[in-house]
Amino acid sequence: MKTFVFRNQTVEAFMGYDGVTYSGYDDISLVPDDVDRYIWFYQVPVNADTAQLAQEIDSYGDKLDLVLESVDKAKPFIVLSLVNLFPLRFTGDDTSVERAVNGFNAHVAQLASENSCVKMVDFADFTARYDASTLVNWKYYLMSQTLLNPKLAKDFQAWWQRAQEELELKRKKCLVLDLDNTLWGGVLGEEGVDGIHLGGDYPGKAFSYWQRALLQLSRNGVILAICSKNNMSDVDEVWEHNPHVVLKREHFAAMRINWQDKATNIDELARELNIGLDSMVFIDDNPAERELIRQRLPQVEVPEFPDKPYQLMPFFKMLVDKYFRVYTVTAEDRNKTEQYRANAQRRAEQARFADLDDYLYSLDIAIDVIPADEHNVPRIAQMTQKTNQFNLTTRRYTDADVTQFVGRGWRIYCMSVSDRFGDNGITGTIFLRPVDDETVAIDTLLLSCRILGKGIEEAFFKTVLNLMRLDGYRRVQALYIPTTKNAQTADFYDRMGMTCVATGDDGSRRYEMPLQHVFEIKNCYNIRVL
Amino acid sequence: MNLQDRVLDIMRETFGIDEVSTDVSQKNCDQWDSLRHLTLASELEDAFDIELEPEEIAEMTDFSRVIAMLESKL
Repeated sequence: MKTFVFRNQTVEAFMGYDGVTYSGYDDISLVPDDVDRYIWFYQVPVNADTAQLAQEIDSYGDKLDLVLESVDKAKPFIVLSLVNLFPLRFTGDDTSVERAVNGFNAHVAQLASENSCVKMVDFADFTARYDASTLVNWKYYLMSQTLLNPKLAKDFQAWWQRAQEELELKRKKCLVLDLDNTLWGGVLGEEGVDGIHLGGDYPGKAFSYWQRALLQLSRNGVILAICSKNNMSDVDEVWEHNPHVVLKREHFAAMRINWQDKATNIDELARELNIGLDSMVFIDDNPAERELIRQRLPQVEVPEFPDKPYQLMPFFKMLVDKYFRVYTVTAEDRNKTEQYRANAQRRAEQARFADLDDYLYSLDIAIDVIPADEHNVPRIAQMTQKTNQFNLTTRRYTDADVTQFVGRGWRIYCMSVSDRFGDNGITGTIFLRPVDDETVAIDTLLLSCRILGKGIEEAFFKTVLNLMRLDGYRRVQALYIPTTKNAQTADFYDRMGMTCVATGDDGSRRYEMPLQHVFEIKNCYNIRVL
Repeated sequence: MNLQDRVLDIMRETFGIDEVSTDVSQKNCDQWDSLRHLTLASELEDAFDIELEPEEIAEMTDFSRVIAMLESKL
C-alpha cells in the first residue's frame, strides 16, 4: 500500500519510510494520485506570537479543504487531530491558540461525518500518555524540526498500528466473564445473594461501575458471555432479588454456569455463538483458571485481572483500548447480544421440528435485498473485513473500495434478514462485476454465520441471479478461493448447479453457468427486492 | 557483545539494511541520511544511557567517529 503524508514537520521517524512519501513542509501544492491513501499529520508549530500562531492554525483547515477537493474520494484520507504540545500563554485569558486547535479538530470531525473517505484519528489519545517534558525533545526539535520526541517513535508506531486496526474495524467479538470476585465481590455460594459486594459503598460500588461500563460495551456491539462455577439457581436469585445488579440474564448472549472445567465451557460457548476462539477475551479473577485457558485454548486472550476492586475502571479502559475499540459501529453491532440470543432460541426451536422445511415456514423469514447505497456501504465493507466462514473469496474491502466499485458499475447488493425471533439486520452481501454485456462475475459472496442453516444463502443467491437475468445478463462466472476457515462453502457453487471450468494450484475453482431460466426459490421466504 | 557489534546492530536496525560494515559512513551509505542520522543518535543515547550534544551528533559522520564518540562518553 502506498501512502502519502501531508505534514508540516519531520514525521518520518514516526510514519516510517516503507511505501510512504511525504509532502514538503506545509506544502499542499502537490497532491499525487498514484497512491492508495492519504494521511494528514500536522503539528502545532512553535511560535511565541500566539495571535500569529492561531492564524496559522486556522489556515490548516482551509488547506485541508483544498486538498480534499482535489483527491480521489474513493481513497481513504486519515487526519490526525492537532494537539498543542507546547502551550505558551502570556495572559490567563488568552485562549486563542486553544480555540484555533479546537476549531481545526471540530472542522475535521465535521469533514469525517460528511465524507466517508475521511477518518479522524485522535492524536491526543497518544499524547495523553506522556507528560509535557517527555513529549517534546528540544534538542531534536532544533536539529530536525520534529517537536514530538523521536524517542517515542516505537511507542507511536505501536499506537498507530492499533489506530489503523480500529479503522479496519478489527476487534475481538466476545467478552467471557467469570462471576464471583469478577462481576461482583465475594463468593455467591458462600455469602448468599445479599452477602455479595455489589452496589452501596466500596467495594460494592466498584463492581457497580464495572457492570455499568460492561453494559455500555455490549451496547457498542461486544457480546458478553458468562463462564462461572456456580449453581444456576443461585445466580438466578441474584438476578431476581439483588436490586444492585446491572448486568442481568438478558445482557448475556450465552452462558455456562456449571461445574465443568472452563476450557470445555469456553469451547462450547464459541460453538454456540458460532464465533472463533480467537475472537474471545476471557476475564477471571482466579489465576489458575486463567492459566488453564492460556494452556488449553491459546487462541483466547486472557488478560491479568486487577487485585483491587478500585482498579476495575482503569482495567476496563485497558480492555477497551486493547481489544474492543473500533472506529465506528453499525446498528447491527449495537443489537448483537439480542441477535445471538435469538439465534440460540432458534436452535432450540429447530429441535422441535422433524422436517427442515416445516421449521423454516414456522420462522416467518423475511429477506430484503437492497442495492448498496451510502447508508449501507459501511456495513457492507465491515462484513467483507470480518466474515470468514461463509465467504467464497474472502476479499477484504474498505468503504472507499465499495463506493469505487459502485461508481464503476458493479452491482452490489446486501440483504437484511428478520424472522419472528428478531431482526438480524444486514447480514449478507454479493458483489457482481460486469465482464461484458452478457456476462457478470461474482467477485464477493458472503453471509454472516449467524443466519446460516436456513437456506437463506441459496434464496439470496438465486434472487440476485434472477435480477441479473432480467437485466439482460446471460452468463454468470464465479470463483471459490479456499482459506483455513471457509471450507463449508467449498461446494456451494456446485450445489447451486454451476459448472467448474478451471482449478488453480491453490485449490481455487472457477465456475460458470448460463442464465437461461428463472431460478425457483422455496416459498418459505418472504423476499422483497428494494 | 562488544561495543562495535552493538553499534553495528543499532545501525542495521536504524538504517533498515542487513549489511553494515565498520567502514560505513554518511558518504557511502544512502540510508544514512540526515533524518536517520538523528534516529541513530537517539537510539545510541538510549542504548548506552548517554546524552549527545548537537555538536557531537554533527561530528559522528562515519563508523569510527561514532565509536570514538561513544568511547569518550562511556
